[in-house]
Amino acid sequence: MYAQPVNKVPTRNPLIKLKMACKANVYALCVVSRFSAAIVGGYIFTAVFTSLLSLILPLKKSDAVLLSISLTIFVYSCVFIWAFAVKSLKTIWITILLTSSACGLSIALLKDWL
Amino acid sequence: MKESFFRSMTWMHTWVGLLVCWLLYLVFFAGTISFFRDEVTLWNQPALHSLQAPQERIALQREQIIAGVDYLKATAPESGRWGIYLPTEREPQLNYAFEKPRPEGRRFGGWQDYYINPKTGESLQQPRETKGGNFFYRLHFDLHYIDVRTARWIVCFASLFMLVALISGVVIHKRIFKDMFSFRKNKGSRSWLDGHNVSSVLALPFHIMITYTGLITLIFMLFPYPAMTAYDDGIRGFFNDVTPTNVRTKSSDVPAPLTAIDNVLDQIYTNWPNADLTRFSIKDPNKASATITVRASTGTLVRDQTPTMLFNGVDGSLIAKSVDEYSSTEVFYDSLTALHTGRLANPLLRWLYFLCGVAGCIMIATGCIMWAKRIRERMKKDQKASFGLKLVEGLNLATLMGLPLATCAFFIANRLLPVGITQRADKEILAFFITWLAVALFSLFKRAKMQWYLLAWVNAVACVSVPLINALTTKGSIVSYLLNSQWALFSFDLVCLVCALLFVLQAKKLRTQLNSPAANTRSNRVNKNSLVEQKG
Repeated sequence: MYAQPVNKVPTRNPLIKLKMACKANVYALCVVSRFSAAIVGGYIFTAVFTSLLSLILPLKKSDAVLLSISLTIFVYSCVFIWAFAVKSLKTIWITILLTSSACGLSIALLKDWL
Repeated sequence: MKESFFRSMTWMHTWVGLLVCWLLYLVFFAGTISFFRDEVTLWNQPALHSLQAPQERIALQREQIIAGVDYLKATAPESGRWGIYLPTEREPQLNYAFEKPRPEGRRFGGWQDYYINPKTGESLQQPRETKGGNFFYRLHFDLHYIDVRTARWIVCFASLFMLVALISGVVIHKRIFKDMFSFRKNKGSRSWLDGHNVSSVLALPFHIMITYTGLITLIFMLFPYPAMTAYDDGIRGFFNDVTPTNVRTKSSDVPAPLTAIDNVLDQIYTNWPNADLTRFSIKDPNKASATITVRASTGTLVRDQTPTMLFNGVDGSLIAKSVDEYSSTEVFYDSLTALHTGRLANPLLRWLYFLCGVAGCIMIATGCIMWAKRIRERMKKDQKASFGLKLVEGLNLATLMGLPLATCAFFIANRLLPVGITQRADKEILAFFITWLAVALFSLFKRAKMQWYLLAWVNAVACVSVPLINALTTKGSIVSYLLNSQWALFSFDLVCLVCALLFVLQAKKLRTQLNSPAANTRSNRVNKNSLVEQKG
């Protein structure tokens, strides 16, 4: 009959607690996620992308490595900035994961790891 | 992430910059000093002050090497490593060094130096134990007291943030040309923004170059993956491929006589006529596994890899020689590192490097001061400062004013600590960090204008006392350096005096602001209005 004051009941369920805490700090979590996309995601993408580059560049083996290594920082900083320029966090994470795994897969195919 | 690209970049520039600015200030500060690494080391060694490089420096090298090998044969036949360090244009002394006995479990026992006057061949009064410019060089990327690898990762990430902040800084900059010439005085945070812009824009190519190439110098730690993918035996395979002199030999205990040095020298000079050699080192001398490594200077070439030759130490045959002709990619990669280290620079270019480094320090310093100023200006009258603002202000005071003072303490300790005490070099470094800690504790207590004013005076006094104590404790002084045209030492003292003058000016400026708080708040209010106008 009477509506229960749901909000005031302290919940014991840690999952719900976590969810509530998340809701309260949505902005902070977004910032953390964006920074980790830029730092960690950017690092992983750069690592696999330049590794692939060192395999497919039509140069002597040592030259291919040196050139792709010289470009790593450029790639990394581009990804970093892009992670802050794009609005949707989902787009960023999906793009990074998809492109990184595509590069990783190509390396595995080229090196006959599969 | 914000409404527009422009605003996202502004947001990112602020936070990426603020997060690491104090570490970056340390890196830039120490890096700027490291451009004069050899000169700073020379200043820290009064025993070497009177030395002057002989005119016929290169012609003497052959004799010096032969004499050095004779000396080391007689003095340290059992040592695991000998090194003959020849005088260069920046380091006047000749050094015959050998490795001290290795402590248990260590791979290297450290060098026992023996300094010689290259003109007369006489041994010099042995120098005091000091790290000199090498301390700042190491501090620049290894920090101190923490694990070297961890430190390098931290510095790398700070540098990446720096690079990203630089790029976004260019993006958010609307009038790059106009800002080069505009500096509005006494306008609160507006003036700090102008200072930030001028110092960034004037030396922008340098800032981007030095940050990018700095990351390249540590790239094989940061991104070993391309080499690991392309080579089946990983990084080592890659290095063996690009550097033919990277040959590892197993040490043996079987005694064997050393080859005739004349024979080795003949081969060197046939391969490299007119070579300017820098180092002649012998590993496992008097053993069957002996090898001789010779390095030559690259001079003013934009190249970092030194030309190297490796000889068998028993029969004197050439084992390997560095590549003379680089492929275009190798030139590209190697020039990146060479631009960062600046070993190629002649004195004029070195000063330009130094001034650009100073501009970088100013850029970072004005950036972090501006953040705190802006928040303060936007605060309402009865509002209390947040913890974050207090933290930033504290770190600003501790870093910006603490680091110069700590540097002065390092140099003063170099002159005042008794020469004979044990672990002298470490005690100089301890003086550096204790001073810095003291300033940090002081700024924990209060961070207002008054504290800046006090520290400006302390810094000014410390800067003056460095050349003063030098004059009192050594034979030379800034006047005698000028008269004898000892430019390295003269410039060192002069830079100290210029810094002292700047700190006095800072103190004077702060004094006027402290005396007229009314005028100060008024200018702030004007400034707030102008900010509002700008936004509109």
